[in-house]
Amino acid sequence: MTQENDQIRQIEVDAGPRRFARGWHCLGLARDLADGKSHEINAFGQKLVVFAGEDGSINVLDAYCRHMGGDLSQGTVKGNEIACPFHDWRWGGDGRCKQIPYARRVPLRARTAAWPTMVQDGMLFVWNDPEGNPPPADVTIPRIPQVDSDKWTDWIWYETVIEGANCREIVDNVVDMAHFFYIHYSFPTYFKNVFEGTSAYQYMDGDGREDVRPATPSKTNPTVLGTTSVAAYHGPSFMIDEVTYHYEDLDVDTILINCHYPIDENSFVLQYGIIVEKKEGISDEDAELMAAKTGKFIKYGFEQDVAIWKSKARIDNPLLCEEDGPVYQLRRWYQQFYVDAAEVTPEMTDRFEFEIDTTRPNEAWRAEVEQNLAARQS
Amino acid sequence: MTTPRPDVRLADAPMQPVACTTCGAAVLARKSSWDQSSVQWNAAALDRCAERRTTPGPSERTDQRPNRNAFTGCEALRAALREAAVRGILEVQDDEPLKTNPGAHR
Repeated sequence: MTQENDQIRQIEVDAGPRRFARGWHCLGLARDLADGKSHEINAFGQKLVVFAGEDGSINVLDAYCRHMGGDLSQGTVKGNEIACPFHDWRWGGDGRCKQIPYARRVPLRARTAAWPTMVQDGMLFVWNDPEGNPPPADVTIPRIPQVDSDKWTDWIWYETVIEGANCREIVDNVVDMAHFFYIHYSFPTYFKNVFEGTSAYQYMDGDGREDVRPATPSKTNPTVLGTTSVAAYHGPSFMIDEVTYHYEDLDVDTILINCHYPIDENSFVLQYGIIVEKKEGISDEDAELMAAKTGKFIKYGFEQDVAIWKSKARIDNPLLCEEDGPVYQLRRWYQQFYVDAAEVTPEMTDRFEFEIDTTRPNEAWRAEVEQNLAARQS
Repeated sequence: MTTPRPDVRLADAPMQPVACTTCGAAVLARKSSWDQSSVQWNAAALDRCAERRTTPGPSERTDQRPNRNAFTGCEALRAALREAAVRGILEVQDDEPLKTNPGAHR
């Protein structure tokens, strides 16, 4: 044996990012945030206030009033402005102080940080750019026309705060084929990643797992034979996952959102939403039920992830086998969001494809499933 | 953040230059087995790729699902990589012999 093979491999950790990713971040459903109240959002290392004025437009401002530091997220919406709870200074969505009820005039420089926002397909997005530039026209989030369709259910939406982990951990999942078997009870049979520009795709087909199927399938709990999924991050934090569930007698399309925004370097808010196609022959109630069930399953899946993230080490030199996905190339892609726009190199955005050979993993997993089934029967 | 690190798996077996036999697009590729492949494109290769050019633009799209209109990969290049592997131009890391009935994958 060579000396190199005998050496203990050390986990290496680079300095974490000192900034937050440039890009559109979904803060939640517009219907929850546009209720005429002020909302406190902790994001990008600071506190923000989100509010919708009477004109219906949703605004995002730095939460701290530039007067005496009052917390606008505890304030009240008055007309189209947010009023500070401390001295009633009124701030508009453009970041300018519009009125001080007790003052003859508003001082010069009465301007606070306002964040570019976008409401699309029922979701509120905020643009984060440490350089302070507006969103380029070609950096967009794809439309999801199914949201407006009667043939699809409404959003079911979940939010959870993840403490003790950098949001990079969740992004790593997009290339991590094997964890889908071990953490999420799926059985990937085809797995390919494509990174290009600001998008990172994951093409995954999966078989249903007999060892996790309900012992007695029913109308509301049918047997999943397999899944076909095309998932993609569009920018650093917003993933659309189109999953088709193959049942014995029909296929059902779902669209899953998996998005997050950083609270700080060591915590983030994870949100996920789901809409389900209402197939002909399936009542609206059953479709809603299925959406809720799928949502619950996904929630459970994320809880499994969280348990791992909470105890795992940060590792910048992962030791990979040939059946692992392109972790390094994904992180190279992801880095484009953490450098100045002028520092983004072709290396980070050039198209890269990686297709895993699932032969060996599938052999191992089939054997494991059979063992589980045998154990269940004995 | 420091510069991204190279994939540990490339240390002993780096990406190799391969040209597409259909359009001549020059990419870097690696195969750890017959059914695994990594392909590194650059802008010039992407410009050359004929299949890439036939990917529908935003106005010609028929699939309403947001992720389904992306270019999933070039079939001609896929075939070229396979051919290069068979001819031994592109190294295959795994020493299992080529299966006589490929095409089990999509």
